[in-house]
This record gives sequence, structure tokens and C-alpha cells, in this order.
Amino acid sequence: MIDPLAGASADAASAAADRSSRSVLRRLLGMPIAVLSLSFLVLVVLVAIVGPFLAPYNPNAASAALVLGPITPEHLLGTDSAGRDVFSRMLHATRFSVAGALLALVVAAVIGVTGGLIAGYYGKWFEGLSAWVVGLVQALPGIVVLLAARAVLGPSMWTSMAIFGVLLSPAFYRLVYSTVSAVRDELYVDAARVSGLSDARIIGRHILTVVRGPALVQASFVTGVAIAIQAGLEFLGLGDLSIPTWGSMLSEGFANIYTNPALMLWPSLAIGLTCMSLVLLANSLRDVFERSGSAGRRRPPRTGGAAQAEIEREQVVRHDGGRFADAEVLLDVRELAVGYAQDDGSIKTVVEDVSLTVHRGEVHGLIGESGSGKTQTAWSVLRLLPEGGRIVGGAIEFEGVDLASVSAGRMRGLRGAKIAYIPQEPMSNLDPSFTIGSQLVQPMCQKLGISRSEARRRALDLLDRVGIPQPERTFAAYPHEVSGGMAQRVLIAGAVSCGPDLLIADEPTTALDVTVQADVLDLLRSLQQELKMGVILVTHNFGVVADLCDTVSVMRTGRIVETGPVDEIFARPTHPYTRSLFDAVLEEIGPEGLEPVDVVEGDEERTPVSEGAVK
Amino acid sequence: MLSFIARRVASGVVLVLTISVIAFLLLYAGGGDIARRLLGEDATPETVAQKAHELGLDQPLIAQFANWVAGVLHGDFGTSWFTSQPVSDAILSRLSVTLSLVFGATVLIAIVSVVLGVLAATRRGWLDAAVQVLSLVGTAIPAFLIATGLVLVFAINLRWFTPTGYVQFAASPSGWLASVTLPVVALSLGGIAAVTQQIRGSMVDSLRHDYVRTLESRGLNRRTIVLQHVLRNAAGPGLAVLGVHFVGLLGGAVIIEQIFAIPGMGQVAVTATSQGDIPLVMGLVIATAILVVILNLLVDLAQGWLNPKVRLS
Amino acid sequence: MFNFRKRLAAAIAAAAIAAIALSGCSGSAAGGGADGAAAGDGTLTIGTIVASTTFAANNAPWANESPYLQAVYDTLLHADPDGTVQPWLATDWSYNDDDTVLTMTLRDDVSFTDGTKFDASAAAQNLLRFRDGTSPQKGYLATLADAKALDATTLELTLSAPNPSLLSFLTQNPGLQQSPATFGAADEKTNPVGSGPYILDKGATVVGSTYVFTKNPDYWAPEQQHYAKLVMNVYTTPTAILNAIKGGQINGAPLTDNSMISQIEAAQYTSNGQQLNFFGLLLFDRDGSIAPELADVRVRQAINYAFDRDAMLTAIGQGYGDVTSSIFSPDSSGYDEDADQYYSYDPEKAKDLLAEAGYDDGDITLTMPTSSGFTPATYALTKQYLEDVGISVEEVNVAPTSFLGDLLAAKYASTVMQLKAAPTTWETLTLDLLPSAGWNPFHTEDATVAELASTIQSGSEDEAAAAAKELNRYIVEQAWFAPFYRPQQTYATDAHTSVETQTGNAYPYLWNFTPED
Repeated sequence: MIDPLAGASADAASAAADRSSRSVLRRLLGMPIAVLSLSFLVLVVLVAIVGPFLAPYNPNAASAALVLGPITPEHLLGTDSAGRDVFSRMLHATRFSVAGALLALVVAAVIGVTGGLIAGYYGKWFEGLSAWVVGLVQALPGIVVLLAARAVLGPSMWTSMAIFGVLLSPAFYRLVYSTVSAVRDELYVDAARVSGLSDARIIGRHILTVVRGPALVQASFVTGVAIAIQAGLEFLGLGDLSIPTWGSMLSEGFANIYTNPALMLWPSLAIGLTCMSLVLLANSLRDVFERSGSAGRRRPPRTGGAAQAEIEREQVVRHDGGRFADAEVLLDVRELAVGYAQDDGSIKTVVEDVSLTVHRGEVHGLIGESGSGKTQTAWSVLRLLPEGGRIVGGAIEFEGVDLASVSAGRMRGLRGAKIAYIPQEPMSNLDPSFTIGSQLVQPMCQKLGISRSEARRRALDLLDRVGIPQPERTFAAYPHEVSGGMAQRVLIAGAVSCGPDLLIADEPTTALDVTVQADVLDLLRSLQQELKMGVILVTHNFGVVADLCDTVSVMRTGRIVETGPVDEIFARPTHPYTRSLFDAVLEEIGPEGLEPVDVVEGDEERTPVSEGAVK
Repeated sequence: MLSFIARRVASGVVLVLTISVIAFLLLYAGGGDIARRLLGEDATPETVAQKAHELGLDQPLIAQFANWVAGVLHGDFGTSWFTSQPVSDAILSRLSVTLSLVFGATVLIAIVSVVLGVLAATRRGWLDAAVQVLSLVGTAIPAFLIATGLVLVFAINLRWFTPTGYVQFAASPSGWLASVTLPVVALSLGGIAAVTQQIRGSMVDSLRHDYVRTLESRGLNRRTIVLQHVLRNAAGPGLAVLGVHFVGLLGGAVIIEQIFAIPGMGQVAVTATSQGDIPLVMGLVIATAILVVILNLLVDLAQGWLNPKVRLS
Repeated sequence: MFNFRKRLAAAIAAAAIAAIALSGCSGSAAGGGADGAAAGDGTLTIGTIVASTTFAANNAPWANESPYLQAVYDTLLHADPDGTVQPWLATDWSYNDDDTVLTMTLRDDVSFTDGTKFDASAAAQNLLRFRDGTSPQKGYLATLADAKALDATTLELTLSAPNPSLLSFLTQNPGLQQSPATFGAADEKTNPVGSGPYILDKGATVVGSTYVFTKNPDYWAPEQQHYAKLVMNVYTTPTAILNAIKGGQINGAPLTDNSMISQIEAAQYTSNGQQLNFFGLLLFDRDGSIAPELADVRVRQAINYAFDRDAMLTAIGQGYGDVTSSIFSPDSSGYDEDADQYYSYDPEKAKDLLAEAGYDDGDITLTMPTSSGFTPATYALTKQYLEDVGISVEEVNVAPTSFLGDLLAAKYASTVMQLKAAPTTWETLTLDLLPSAGWNPFHTEDATVAELASTIQSGSEDEAAAAAKELNRYIVEQAWFAPFYRPQQTYATDAHTSVETQTGNAYPYLWNFTPED
């Protein structure tokens, strides 16, 4: 069956995987610690492969005369308690120790990863059985199993390591299983299934790439554990006497610790440094995979001042007037610039030269496409920019203080009490571990200094006020137990709970069902009028602007291009960009302004305005 | 919740049964000539045969297993062949010793890891780097090396602690503390390293979640947000790792117990398995399996408490 | 809606309480603490390397467990540190003419701690029970046909054959006297009732790790009780003993590794040395069943010439001990200086002998079973010397649980081993040389050995002594073994304690521990 699309998508995915593995390596090599540990591990592997050929002596050649000899040119690391050359033994031991650890790793990985993949992907009885088997393996006392197996199968190190690999496999199984089962229902997997890809292909191409990163990290840790355990077993005297390994050399050194402590030094160094390198490598791998996994995560901001960015000024179209022109000014943003520190020390600005004013009782909309900087502007007023973001220019004046430069403590005092925030996505903005009620009550107690019972009373009132039908029930519920619309109402309740003067609303209805959006907008309007708050309303939807806003600023690529009272802008959009935005809106809306539509009435002839084409 | 616990208990029973069969088979297969081991090299073959008969070693495997199971169902775990002590007495007394070590280590790990992990995640910078380095050291250096070093320095050179032996808590709390301090520290370092890493990692992840910004926008102070909210959400993976480590500590205590001459389960596991003291090893295996089942159940319940989404109906 | 959190919190709290309770619930104070080490408070704290396997006298072992048993039981006779038999519970004895009937007179003033009187009937029962029990040394009484109480203080032993070591045996575990009232008791193995100088303190004892004994106030020989309390701690590894010594926690302990001697002396401990064992190669397969080459005496002699015994002693024994070519102890009647130093280090002669026997370089491969009981260095060096004379060695690692069993079941033709150099010739015969001896797993028979054995068993003292020396020389010349040396067995004591080592036993006898200040 020829399905060119399937092939293409699969190939694209694999090409992406190849590219990303190359970029993984490249990124790894950019991290100095990773380079160090990788080089050490490469050295160890080299010694393991080549060492035995370079050893000056037979590692088992004993000599009574040379027992516990010192370091000499003939014996670079001295001799051990049987007169054998320690240097040669170290070279041979490296091969055995590394091979043994790798054997345990391979066994653990093969069993664990395969089991985890199948159980995670297919689920059902296989998953139940595997979970039970894993529990079994975990519950067996490892030392008893190893000892008893050793008695049955002989003391060979290979057997012990293989069995140990089996005992270690739960580590991989659990990891892979949880990763795969989380991803199993993802859309792209469904898409692959629908395209007709075979299960094996889906697992091999798509799911394996998800698992690859964490599994690799785990492999690094597990190898370190295997090496340490091997040494531990030898230390207990349960090793294989016929071959030199780091562990047996360590155990022998330990037995002679008071007579010749240096004997313990070399295997200790080998074991310690190898384990350390593996752990370091694992950490670096984890960092690399996390960054390639999601965009936008950056390193923590460098301490020490980054340079102020150079801001160019551009022309802003201003419409003056409007009914708030003489009202009390709550917020005055002047030439605000926001930037993010880059790895090379430069600053990438996302907001430049933004100036706007919010008066008491005024709803000021910020409209623009994704990436226009509107949310960044909103967050800067709160001074809650994401990691790496900083205000790099301008001032934000609020009730007499410059929020851009005020102390953190002062800022915290203002938040919640004076400046409040309504986020866009209700479900991810509530702490899933706490009840809704507690998340309302706690800030009130802290900010307003009232008692819990008083806060509870107010919270219930608030829930009622925001239109939640059974306040007590919602109060006791967890966020995942309520709908998106209810959660947004809760967030709104929380935002206004301490009576703020300024409200920052970040696309409060975007993530909601169409049927609920209008209600929430109504709620916002009534609350705003009741509490006489100034509002900055971030949105991409002209309908919302028309519905709620008194003033609007249009943003593009970090700058305001046009600003002024809503009627003015709607009547006479001047800036080319503003006009293009209006042109993109559905044609039912005429230039006189948009008619707010109450979608709940279910009038099919009217297209809901919330579906504005500007995304 | 009761049905959840009941189901887990039932599957735990099946688990314990399976493990006892496996262990029994392994022990007998590798048993060698246990009677000979018991009597030593001077005994004549006739004496050895007589001893073997006395221990029931000349019966078929199934019969021996059946006898053992029958005894267990009556609460009789038999008598140690090598110390003549009733197995249940032996296990209980040694279990309590090992548990006090392992509990002590777990508590120490939990406290230190949370502190270090939270600090590393929130302060970043040099503190984070220092914690990473410490984690490395803890993971890389095998516990027995640490133990030896501790004995050398603190017990023998400085004489702050007794190097060997164990004092019961009931007899002398201060003596108990003195005798477990070094072993617990040696046991904990590896666990601290691993759990700290885990907590740090998941704290860093959790701090990036949206709700953190929303909480900050409410003006809650940073400490409340980090310790009450973020830590609560980040603790899940850390708890899982801690649970795994607890099981690992049960095994890892073996070497530590040898070094510090502590009469715990680990020490008896090695000795009894090497000698082929089957009743004692079987008792040990059962005890460990039960412990693990209980622990996993507790960890799952704790995860449910931490994360309401996980709570099973 | 139930309150999940509350229930969980309760469960966790319950578990925590249970855990703490458990940790406090088993027994009370256990030793291992620092209180035993000082003199003057009357406590002797010593280290042992195994736990007590049983306190039941009929199955009792000796050697490593002798301290446990000597604390609570008396034996019929006592042995001086040099092995001389002395009266104890038996005050007098005599054999009949052909040494098959031994009549003993017993004390009448001894009682067990449960009040039962010690008499000839009790002694007879104990002897018979030992003969029929499962003690490792049960074979010592193999020739005991019957034991009878003629009256309350007269005991008669009838033997099926003369046993030259019988009196010596009665100073050890065969002579242990347990109260007849406790025969067959359910806790016989863990709760001993004897007439001995100390009583087991069950409350303070932690089975398997610390055994505590208190003075028996009614003991009939109080001059033998030098301490008010005994504490015996079990140390399973040499390092644990060393740490206990360095921490000053014990008054005495056996050293399992002579490399520790310098360490303990640095900690102000005295090393009391004796020679107990011989260490070397046992060449079992003298009839050539598995290894035909070993049937040729020249091959066996070549093996003896291959080793530099002094170097082995230095390398493996740290120089503590005496090199030897013989398995006979200097304390035994069979000791002979010529036999003792018969073989020198002569690899050339070894190669000549091998060539004479028709073996070229590399023709012979000796299978050597290895175990974790000996250091890797031991095997490495042994292998090296053999290979230097052209005998290759194949090492086979054997699990500890099967090692002894496999050896004694004649699975291997030869092995490196450390065995007792018995204090009496008769023991050497019964342990190593006779066809029925355990350490003659292939049951090699030899007319000369049989003849000499019979003289040793039944002849007069002088005849037996002469025959013993001849036996020694014969075994050495026939190279039944290739001993390297007699290692020094060391017992460490602190500055507050003095001991006299006991011939043939790794532990000094309990009454030979005396406090010293």
C-alpha cells in the first residue's frame, strides 16, 4: 500500500531525529563539563580496548619476591600482595570492569526499555503483568539473589553482571513506561496510526525518539551504579578470582590498607572518576534534551548587568481625546523596553519604546498578533517576566513609584493588593495540589491580614459574585475537578479578591469555549465598573476590544504603532498595519464598528465575533 | 481507598509467595553440602549424613518446601541451622536494627535533600554548582569507602564514636545514637546525592509552570510559593526516588553492617546465604518482600496525598 | 467525601510508631559498647569469629566455639596449656590391661545450676549422647562401646578398640557435662544448663552477635573464675576485629590475618602466638584415580621441591610461622626434625624428577580448586611456582557452600588447604592418613601406614613414639602432602589481660584468661 504522505511524514520525522541527534552531540560538545567527562570516558574505553596489549607484564604473573613492592621504573604503580604488577593489572582490569558494567547496562536496558515500550504502548494485560514482574524484581533482596545465583551458576563475573542487569531493569522499565504511556495518546501518534503506519514503525520512529533522551540519561546513571555495585560485590569477597577487575583490586587493597594504602588508591580513582564522569555526562545530556524538547527555555539570567539595549524610535500614530483624557492616571508607561539575555551576552529586545497610559476606570486594550509583545508588556507591569527577561529601558509609573526599578519586596506588596492579574489559560494557572478554596483564602489572609474564617466567607461571596452556581462545592474542589470556564471565573475572583486598582488581563477568554466567552466578558465588565479598576486587556480579537475597551493600542513586533480611543481607531484606522488588521476581519463587520454578539442565543446567521481571523 | 489497599495487599501476598518459591529453589540449587558446612572439615561422612537427615535435607525438594510452608502458615518459621535461634526472633531483632539504620538514613536524606534541592533550584548560581559537585561526590564514591574513611577518622583517630557494635535504643538512647551515627551518614550520602538532584530538577521544572506566575501576581511571598506550592508539586518524583532508595538501602546496608559490625539483616543475609542456612534466609526473604510491598503501598498513598490528580478511585 | 489526608497521616504515624517500637522491642542492652575493656570492673570482653551454633552438649562443636561452651559447662578432665591431662570432674582414672576399659572416679560435690546433682549416671548419659549426636567431633567417641555408672562416683567406659587420644578428647567437647534434666528440652540449643563457671544471661544476649555470661555464684572451683562477667562479641570479618581492637573495645580476640599484627601492636595489644595448623598442598589422589600423574611418588616429590617455602611464608604469612615439609605438629610424638626440614627449594631437582617420571614441560596439568577462603595471592603464587617447573595449573573457582563438601567427596585430586597439625599422632592418623580419615578422600591404603598405625594404637608408649616418628618420615618421603609452613596462629590481648595459648586450639581456654594490671 503506497502512502506517500505516510512515508514522507515518517521520513521527515526520522530526518528530524537524525538532525537532532547531530545537534545533540554538537550542543553537548559546547558544554565544557560534558566535554571533560566525555573525554575521560573515551579514554577509559580506549584503555579497555587497547590496554591489555600495552601492559608490560602478565597481570597474573605472581612473584613472592616482589610482594607489596614500591613504585619503580619497572613497576609504574608498584606491585600487589602477590607480587603482580599493578599497572598491568589496572590496564586489564579496565577492560573487565567496563565490559562487566556494560553487560549489566545492556541487559537492563534491553529488558527494561523493551518491556516499557510494549507495556506503555499496548497497555492492557501486558502492562499489568509487567508492573507486577517489576514489583517482584524490586522486592527480591538483591544480595540473596546474587549470592544464591552465584552458588548455582558459578562465580563468573559475567553471570553476576548479567543477573544484576536483570535486577536493574526496573529502572529503565519505569522510566520508559511512564514516558510512553504519557505520549501514547498524543495527537501525532494518532495521526501516525491513522496514516497506516505499523505499530513497529510508530514505536521505532516516533515513540523511541521521545524515550531516547531520558533513557540515555538513565543509562549513564545505571552504568555508574553497575560499576559501583561490582566493586561492592568484590569487596564482600564475592568476586571472580580469576580475572583482575577494579573491584577485586580495591578489595585487595582494602585488605592491605594498613600496610600499603596506595594499593587502594588506583582502583578507587578509577571507580570514582568513571562514576563521576558518567553522572556528569548524564546531567549534561539531561540539560541538552530538555532544551531541545521545548523552545523558549533559557539558561538562568546572568548576574551582573547586561548592557542596556539600543532602542530606535519610530513613529506612533496617536489619536487623542476620549472620555478618560482628564481622569486620574493610574499607570503611565514610558518608552518601555523589554529584552532577553542571549548566550553570547547580547540582548534581544521583544518590546521597544512602548508608551501608554491607563486612567482610573479605563479599559485599555493591547491588540496584536502573536509575538507582538503585548503579553510581555503586560507582564512587565507586574514585573513577572519569564526567566531571562528583564526591563531594559523606560519607566512604568504607578501611584508614584517606578515599577521598573522598585525593590522586589515593594513590588510584591503591590501585587495582588494594588495590581492584579488574570492569566490566559485557566487550568494551568491553578495549583493542582490545592483546593480552589485554599488558593483563594491564602492570599487574602496574607495580603489583607484577615482571619481564615473571614477570608472563607469573602471567598464564597466572591465565587458567588463571579457567577459560580454552587460556591461551597467549588470551594472544596480541586482545579482538575472543574471546567475551564469555572476555573477562569475562579481566577477572576482571585484577582479581584484584594480590591486592586489596576487589573492586567491576559487574553482572559481565548482559552474558553465560545459559549462561555461572552459571559466571562460580561463578568469582567461588571466587576471593572463596580470596583472602578483600570484595566490593561491583552487580546488578539477586535470583538473583545469593541465589547470592553475604552482605549486601544495596536502592537506590532514589540512596538505600538497606533493608539487612541476605541471609537476613533475603529472609525479612522490610520496606520497601514492597523488597517490591514481590520481588513482581515470577517466582512460582516462594517467600518462603523463591530456589533457585539451574544453568542449564547445561538443565532446562526451571525458569525461569532470571537472568531476573528487575527490569530 | 480501602479497595485499593485491599487489592495491593492481595497482589502483595501473591508476590511474597512467588518470591518464596524462587528463593527456595535458588537456595537449594546452590546449597551444596550444607550439613558438611555446618559441621566443618573434621566431621566424618557418617556424621554429615546424620546431620543432613536431621535437617531434612535428604527429602525431595517439594516435600521440604511443603514442610516449610506448612510451618509458616502456623506462624513457625523454623530454626536457624547455624545458630539454633528461632527464625522469627532472629529476623525481628535484626530487622529492627537494620530498620533503625535505614529509617535514620531515609529521614536524613529527605531533610537534607529537600533543603539542598530547594536552595539549589531557587538560588542557582554558585550554590547550585556546589550542590551539583556534592551530589557527584556522593554518587561517585562507593559507600564502603566513605564508611572506612569515617571509621578511620572519627572512631579511631578522634575517638568520638565507637567504631563497631550497636546499642539498642531501649537500652540507651544516647548510646544508640552514638553507634548509628557513622553508619547512617555513610548510608545516606549516596541517597542525598540522588534525591537532591531529583528534587532540584523537578523544582526547576515546576518553577516554570504558569501557576507560579499567577501565585506571584497575587503578591504571596516567595517562601510561601516555593515551600508550600512548588515543593508540593515537585516532591512527587523526589518521593519516588526516595522510595527506590529505601529499598536499595535495605540491600546497601549489607556492606555498612559488615564494616561496623552491626547485627542487622544485611549482615545475616550474606552470612546465612553463604552458609546455606535456609530457614533463616527464607525468613529474611519473606521479611524483605513484605517490607517492600508495604513501602510501595505507602509511597503510592503519599503520592496520592501530594498530587490529587493521582488519587485512585 | 472522606478526608484522605487525615487517614493517610494516621497510617503513616502508626507505621512510624511501630517502627520505633520494634527497634526497641527486642532485648535490652547488648554489648559491643565500651564498657568491657577496662580492668577492675571484672568484665572480660572477647571477640569470636562465629556465632554459637548450638549449646546442646551432645552436638557441641569445639575450636571456634570453645569459649561459649567452656563458659557454661565443665568437662570431665582439664588440659594444661601444653596438653597435659589434669583431673577435673574426674579426679582419678585407670585403664585395664588392653586399654579397652577406662574406669574413672568422679567428684561428688558438684551440682548443675538447676539443682540436679552431677553423678556417674549423668556423665555416662552425656558421653553416650555425644557418641550418638551430630557433633563434628562425634567420631572421637566412635570406639566407645558403652558407658556405665557403677555407682554414684564411678564411671566405666568400654571401648571397642584402644583410643590413645581418649583422655585428651575428654578435656574437649566429648567431655562436656549438661544437666540430664534438660536432655531433649525444647530450648536445649539456646538455653544451656551446666555446672560451669558462668551462666548465660539470656536477656542481655543478642543471638548471633553478642553473648553475655554472668558468674555462677555456686561454682565449685571459684579460683578459676577470674571475672564477674563475660561478653563475647561475634566479628564476621577481620576488619571488624581490627577496628574493635583499634577502638579499644575488646580484651582479646583471635587474629585471622597476621598482617594485622603490626597494627594491633601499635594499638598496645600483645600478640600471643602458637602454631596450630599446617598450610600447603594436599595431594589426595595418590592412587591416580583422577590425576594419574599423582600416583607417581616422583611427581609428588617434584611438587615438594618446586616451592620456596621461605618466600611463601613471607609473602602469604607475613613471615609469621615456621617452614615445614611435614604435617606433624611439634607437640606430637611424631615430630621429627629431619622429616620437618626434608625438602629444600630446588626447582632443578623438581624438573629432573618430572623428567625421570616421563613428563615433559607442560605435560601435567593440575586442577586446583580455589575458594574465597584464601587470598588471591595464595593461588597466584602457588600457580607460579608450579608453572616454573613445568606443571601447568588450571584454577576452578568453587562456591563457598560446596568447597568443603566437594573436597571431601574426592572431586579434586589436590588442593591448597590449611589443616590442623594435630597435637597427638593418633589424631593425625584419624584425620588425615588412615583410609577412613576424612582428609583421605580417595581412601588411599598403604601397608606401612597401616602397620605403624596399629603400633601407635596398641603399643607401649615407647613403641608408639618410635612408630610415630617413623610414620612421619614415611609420609614425608612418600610426599603425600606438600606442606609450605606452619602459620602462626595469633591471639591478641590488651594490656589488661594475659593469656596462655592452648595447644591444638585457636582460643586460649577460658580459665587461662587473667586480668593484669
